[in-house]
Amino acid sequence: MRVALLLACVAAPLAGQSVRIRLENRVPAAAIPIIDSLVQVAGREGLPTEPLVGKALEGGAKHVVPALIVRAVETRLDQLRDARALLVRGGDAPPATPAEIATVSGALRRGLPPPVVERVVGALPSEPRESALHAIADLVAHRLDADSSATLVIAAIHAGLRGGRLLDVSHAVLEEQQRGRTWAESFVRVRDELPDVPAAPKPGEGTVQRARRPSSVSKAPTPL
Amino acid sequence: MNPIDPRIHQVLDGEIPREALPQDLRRVVERLESAAALLAAAPEGRSVAERVLARLRRPARSPVRRLAQWLTAPHPVTLRIRPVWSLALAATLVLLMLLPEERSVPVLGEHEGIAQFVARFPGAHSVQVVGSFNDWRTGTIPLEDRDGDGVWRAVVVLPAGAHEYMFVVDDERWVPDYSANRFVEDDFGRENSVLIVRPVKG
Repeated sequence: MRVALLLACVAAPLAGQSVRIRLENRVPAAAIPIIDSLVQVAGREGLPTEPLVGKALEGGAKHVVPALIVRAVETRLDQLRDARALLVRGGDAPPATPAEIATVSGALRRGLPPPVVERVVGALPSEPRESALHAIADLVAHRLDADSSATLVIAAIHAGLRGGRLLDVSHAVLEEQQRGRTWAESFVRVRDELPDVPAAPKPGEGTVQRARRPSSVSKAPTPL
Repeated sequence: MNPIDPRIHQVLDGEIPREALPQDLRRVVERLESAAALLAAAPEGRSVAERVLARLRRPARSPVRRLAQWLTAPHPVTLRIRPVWSLALAATLVLLMLLPEERSVPVLGEHEGIAQFVARFPGAHSVQVVGSFNDWRTGTIPLEDRDGDGVWRAVVVLPAGAHEYMFVVDDERWVPDYSANRFVEDDFGRENSVLIVRPVKG
């Protein structure tokens, strides 16, 4: 316990320092102290801080004025708080993990209604929901009804599909629609085929060989 | 070389009296006579043998100085090689230059996948992709248009998961990837494209 407290005391200032170092020369200097304090607040509340730092870096790269960058970071902080509240409402035992908070926040930003997100959270207790939420958001982006989309994806979850295979479900619906079926027909057809939806093709050997590993990929891997 | 007035020669040879010369020539004669006197009074020069011996008796130079001189002085180098070996060496060098550049195939981790970026920007001089995967840092993932048809491509290894990104055209124009089908507001008045990278080993 003492060691943990000691580590926490040492790590907190170091983390704050590393945030400032990442922001320096990439974000207007006037915005850095405020963003730094917002990141520290998020850290103290157990929220993920990377989305806030990323939003600040994005604003700096896009040459946005400092006031707008600060406002965007504040908005992201509020979105993360909302996401955590939704996770708790959906049945997640607090504290919600930073990864799931970021996932739910991303789904809300993509336009999913909070009740739909809550349904997915409840359908996948203690499991990653990123793919399920993106699958629903992909369907909603094509103007499909959010509730019907969630029903189909949750049916796929109950049929045993997880991870990237849930994205195959939304992809299959969109393919059925492209073949001339109505949305309702496409939903029914895919639901009836569950869990046997066509898998997305994997990148070929030639593609993998051509792939370059960028010199500065900074984000930690996020499992689907 | 300045010619000497012949009358000076005549005076020096005693053929005419010094008073027969004009004043300026008399001064020249006086200078020549004083120079001759100085030469006559000089000690007798050392012989060649003495100068050689004196040089031999000089103290030896330090090893460091000799090494420095050896390193900086030009030395003749003779390389004796059969022409057949010269030709073989030249052929090897040409082959090495003609061989396609070997690229290291990336070894993908458990939580990594392949992202393919394709965008059409005819007339653009440069296109790059920036996003949450590279901290929105320009200059790290350039797209290529090798055949100049205006279609720019890049295939990169990225962490599996969702990423937001945009294209930067000619280092100044930020454009979403309209072929992505997934978008999210960037809170700065524009939209980012959303990319979902699936793990290859999944």
